[in-house]
Amino acid sequence: MSEYARMKFYCDEERCIECNGCTIACAEAHDLPVGISRRKVVTLDEGIEGKEFSVSVACMHCTDAPCEQVCPVDCFYIREDGIVLHDKDTCIGCGYCLYACPFGAPQFPRDGAFGTKGVMDKCTMCAGGPEETNSDKERELYGQNRIAEGKVPACAAMCSTSALIVGDEQEVSKIYRERVASRGKGVQTAPYGWDKAYT
Amino acid sequence: MTNHLGDIQNAKAIIIFGANPAVNHPVGFGHFLKAKERNNAQIIVVDPRFTKTAAKADYYAQIRPGTDIPFMYGMLHLIFKNGWYKKDFVKNRVYGMEDVMKEAKKWTPEKTAEVTGVPADKIIQIATVYAKSTPGTLVWAMGLTQHSIGSSNTRMAPILQLALGNMGEEGGGTNILRGHDNVQGATDMCCLSHTLPGYYGLSDGSWKYFAKSWGVDYDWLTKRFKEKKWMNTKGFTLARWYAGVLAGKAGEDAIHNGGTNLKALFVMGNGITSIAQTAKVKEALDNLELIVLADPFVNEAAVLTDKKDGVYILPAATQFETSGSVTATNRSAQWRSKVVEPMYESKTDHDIMFEMAKRLGFYDELTRGMLLKVDPKTSELKQVKKTFKWPEDATNEIARIIKTIGLTGWTAERLKKHQENWHLFDEVSLRGIGPMKGEYYGLPWPVWTETHSGSPVLYDIHRPVAEGGMGFRNRFGLEHDGVNLLAGETSAPADSKVPGGYPEITAKNIESVLGITLTEDEKKRIGKNWKVDISGIIAQKCMEAGIAPYGNAKARAKVWTFPDPIPMHREPIHSPRPDLVKEYPTYKDKPNHYRVDTQYASKQGEKDWSKEFPINLITGRLVNMNGAGVETRASKYLAALSPEMFADINPNLAANLGIRDGDMIWIHSPDGTKIKVKAHFSYSVAEDRIFLPMHFAGHFQGEDLSDKYPEGTRPYAVGESANTVTNYGYDIITQIPETKGGLCRIEKAKEV
Repeated sequence: MSEYARMKFYCDEERCIECNGCTIACAEAHDLPVGISRRKVVTLDEGIEGKEFSVSVACMHCTDAPCEQVCPVDCFYIREDGIVLHDKDTCIGCGYCLYACPFGAPQFPRDGAFGTKGVMDKCTMCAGGPEETNSDKERELYGQNRIAEGKVPACAAMCSTSALIVGDEQEVSKIYRERVASRGKGVQTAPYGWDKAYT
Repeated sequence: MTNHLGDIQNAKAIIIFGANPAVNHPVGFGHFLKAKERNNAQIIVVDPRFTKTAAKADYYAQIRPGTDIPFMYGMLHLIFKNGWYKKDFVKNRVYGMEDVMKEAKKWTPEKTAEVTGVPADKIIQIATVYAKSTPGTLVWAMGLTQHSIGSSNTRMAPILQLALGNMGEEGGGTNILRGHDNVQGATDMCCLSHTLPGYYGLSDGSWKYFAKSWGVDYDWLTKRFKEKKWMNTKGFTLARWYAGVLAGKAGEDAIHNGGTNLKALFVMGNGITSIAQTAKVKEALDNLELIVLADPFVNEAAVLTDKKDGVYILPAATQFETSGSVTATNRSAQWRSKVVEPMYESKTDHDIMFEMAKRLGFYDELTRGMLLKVDPKTSELKQVKKTFKWPEDATNEIARIIKTIGLTGWTAERLKKHQENWHLFDEVSLRGIGPMKGEYYGLPWPVWTETHSGSPVLYDIHRPVAEGGMGFRNRFGLEHDGVNLLAGETSAPADSKVPGGYPEITAKNIESVLGITLTEDEKKRIGKNWKVDISGIIAQKCMEAGIAPYGNAKARAKVWTFPDPIPMHREPIHSPRPDLVKEYPTYKDKPNHYRVDTQYASKQGEKDWSKEFPINLITGRLVNMNGAGVETRASKYLAALSPEMFADINPNLAANLGIRDGDMIWIHSPDGTKIKVKAHFSYSVAEDRIFLPMHFAGHFQGEDLSDKYPEGTRPYAVGESANTVTNYGYDIITQIPETKGGLCRIEKAKEV
């Protein structure tokens, strides 16, 4: 990861098959209450030939995040690597961020493990929150902090077709660029096809 | 699969009949997508429903359920007419294609369109693309098999591949996607009622071979049966065991079971609602004396039955609490390690069986085979130890005995080495590097010897036998109707000592076919033929000569012992097209079909079913569920994706019936059963059919059975079982139920 790395998700809709592996992996990894969808798979024109496609959506960790701009209590913060996080102790659950978000990412639990009624919950890119890294409190409020452990976020790690890619935006775009460039160029097999991670 | 999942990346065209890998094999489907991206492979989906796989396809044909044979004949019509078939291949490696050509002549695009419901120009387009994009792989699953003509369907597909010369090619083949973990292994190891393990038949010769290999007395084995003839008689199948209980009641099919009905049922990890006719299954459960259900979860059989006594639930351990080999869909073995010891009071499946055997008094006989080894000097079986080590000794026993599908090389030691060296294999070719060089991942069978490479692509004559090459098996004699059944010139595997076809190898013909002379010692030790040669001499000599022990013959397009020697279209037992039932009627009734008298013509001709039941009914799976859903419905997150049972219905059909999205509807079957489910609008189904997911249980004909689950075991999602309304109808050879093409009537449920 370079000094100027900015972490991004990308979902290749030509590969997404609406298997929901990402949403289940997310829910299991963070022990989410049923009904909280930090990530969801959206399918458009279901059942219509030539039109149906699916895409996995969560917080897009925007560079100029609208949620951060509209938050009346300023609970959001953007890490140096671009991951957009928020402080649940500061959040008042007003829902402004939900109106501002173009992707419907903010979730508002009413009960369950995340305790405080109505405080906003969203994808953390598996990077936890402002609490001490990998502390019990961080885990309880924000779920796993896989990034701190050097692990890929649970959703992308689970993706069965490698449709969902996450990482430094330059790496993400390189992977996708290679995918596009290799179209129709023939199958990759040993000794050329060793780069397994996102092929 | 003749090939393997990674090999699909080599395909230039992928045609999928009655399979939905994007939903049922999401990880494997990655290979399909890579073939499309990198290889410009044309994906063609032929399915009654616009599936998630169809959403990724280049061409889609919405076929009427049960008309795959006409569709494939329609393709062959054009392939033969335009000379697109591989003439050399057909001449040298196929028997009986002339009869197929004759039948294909009848299936013009127009005729095919009339029967299948697919427009003629689409049939022409698909046939053209598929014939011209070689190698092409043909994929199927239950959508092709679960029909009264399922066995013909599964012969038709290879015939199409043979005509195009797609068999034995990388990127080609017939690739059947197995539906569950280790289904291939379960089949290989004979969770079947008509063979012994490894597809050895039920003849005395097979029994004697196994008696010897297990180290038990043949007469003792014989005495385990009521009379000796039952050793040579097929048993009941999973599809129709219920008939064995219900026979004798009014309206039930008669059975041939030694004068007695079935009285006890022992279930190990089978979802009982995953086969057709749940109402009959329930009635059978109610009438049994004893039900034992060994399962990590509460098997729905316990909930479905009204029986109060004699129902036992044994907590079985999961796959994480045991170890051993499982067989993947492509014939590869994978070794699994135990993650944790069996939790609480649960026991592994094999421990449950061992305890049963102890109490039934044959534990020693059951386990003795694990103590034996072939003496390399004398080729005699010898007891080499006093106690066995599970599962290694079981794996080694399998390797020692099963020659038919070539499991000789599957020793526990080798399989573990493959598990430990995953990273040294290429996903597309399965080839190993470094210490695994010369082996294919998981040693796909046949693995003829303890040092053989495994065979990633069946019937591939481009490689030497020692490196996984082979022709077609010589299984059905040397000639038929005066035609030589052995393969023609130029069709021997690479580096073969014999240029063309040759018979399966026996002690008698080995010297003449291989052109060798055996020593006196070898002559003394060699077994009668390659299937029972425990000395390993036949396999070893064959490898040296580049010869496949099972011979090199022609694939047969014509099976002269079947009711339809070449596949013929026959309408489903319950067809929406009475006009076509007249033209393509089903078979005559079949007596004693796996011990049950089975109705075909009499059921189909009972009345015009389509008048009362005008809607086609198809079933299938959801991505978040598995089998009968016993396990997956008990996961809160998976259950949340499909919390209740539903039916996909086309909005136009629904609107005509006054049904709105989300309304509860009744679905009635010709068998007099019904289920109450939620209507889910979807354009993925045509206006003449509905789709039901097959994973639900816990409701029965409108009644909620939730209170029958033992406390704390009710799954998060319960609902009606689709199979309560799947129709009567069974395949003529295999007896698989006809769940992918029946009829129903739907109506809006009155609000309570």
